[in-house]
Amino acid sequence: MTRADRVVVILAVALLPFLYMTYWGPSQQGDALRVMVNGKETMTVSLHADKHITVHGSLGDSVIDVDQGKARFISSPCRGKQCVHTGWLGQGGEFAACLPNRVSIAVIAEEQRYDSIVF
Amino acid sequence: MTALYFNTTREDHRIAWLAALAITLHIVESALPSPIPGVKPGLANIITIIALIQFGWSTAAWVNLLRVLVGSVLIGSFLSPTFILSLAGALSSILVLRLASWLPGRGFGPIGYSVLAALAHMAGQFYTAYLLFIPHAALFHLLPVLMTAAVIFGIISGYIAHLILGYGSRPLAH
Repeated sequence: MTRADRVVVILAVALLPFLYMTYWGPSQQGDALRVMVNGKETMTVSLHADKHITVHGSLGDSVIDVDQGKARFISSPCRGKQCVHTGWLGQGGEFAACLPNRVSIAVIAEEQRYDSIVF
Repeated sequence: MTALYFNTTREDHRIAWLAALAITLHIVESALPSPIPGVKPGLANIITIIALIQFGWSTAAWVNLLRVLVGSVLIGSFLSPTFILSLAGALSSILVLRLASWLPGRGFGPIGYSVLAALAHMAGQFYTAYLLFIPHAALFHLLPVLMTAAVIFGIISGYIAHLILGYGSRPLAH
C-alpha cells in the first residue's frame, strides 16, 4: 500500500462512526407542542413553560399537561384512555391522540423522531 | 452479401476482454441474494481497478460504462431504476478515479483506488436514489450501513486487485 492508500483507508474507516452518530444518534428534545382538533391545528405552545391546557374536542374537554419539556394527556372524555396511557412525549415527532375526542398532540423539533405515523 | 468490417485496435480488443470479465462478474453478482437493497460486493470494481492501473483511466472508464450498459441489457434491467442507479454509481466512481489518478508522487495503489471507487459509487447511487426515487429524509438512516458495506467491500476488492496485479509477493505495508 502506498501512503495515499493508507490515508484513504484510514479516512474511510474514520468516516463511519461519524455517519452512525449523525444518522443513528439520539433524536432531538422537542421545543414545542402542536395541538390538533378535528385534524386542524388549533394551537402551538412551548414545551418549556409548564401549564395545563384544556382543549375542546367533539366529546368534551381533554386536559394536557406540559411539564419541563414534556407533555401528556391527563384526562380525556373517551372510553379507552389510549391518549392518557401513551404517557409523556418529549422527543421531536412523538405523538399522542384521543381519536374519540378528535384531539391529538405532537412534539415539534428540528429533527423528528418519526417521519409519519399511520393509524 | 457484403461483409461489414470494423477496424479494431489493440486497445479495442483489450477493452472488450476486460468488459467481458466485468460483465460476467456483474451478472454473477446480480444472482446473489442481498440482505439490504444496495449492498453488493461490487466485484466488477476489481476489473475497473486493474484496467485503471495497467492501461489507464480511459480504458477503465470504457470498461465500467460498457459493464453497466451490457450487464443491464443481459439482466433485463436496462433503463429501469436499477440501471439508472448503477449508471449513477459507475459515473461517480469513474469521476473520482479520474481525480485520484492525478495525484502526484507514487499516487494510489489498488486498495486506495478501490476504496475511493466504492465510496464514490455508493454516494453517487445514494444521492441519485434520494433525488429521483425516494426523496425522503428517512433514507439517510440507511447511509451508515451502506457506507460501511462500501468501505469493507472496497478494501476486499482492492486487495483482490492487488493480488491479481502480482503485488501479492510485496508486503502490504511498505
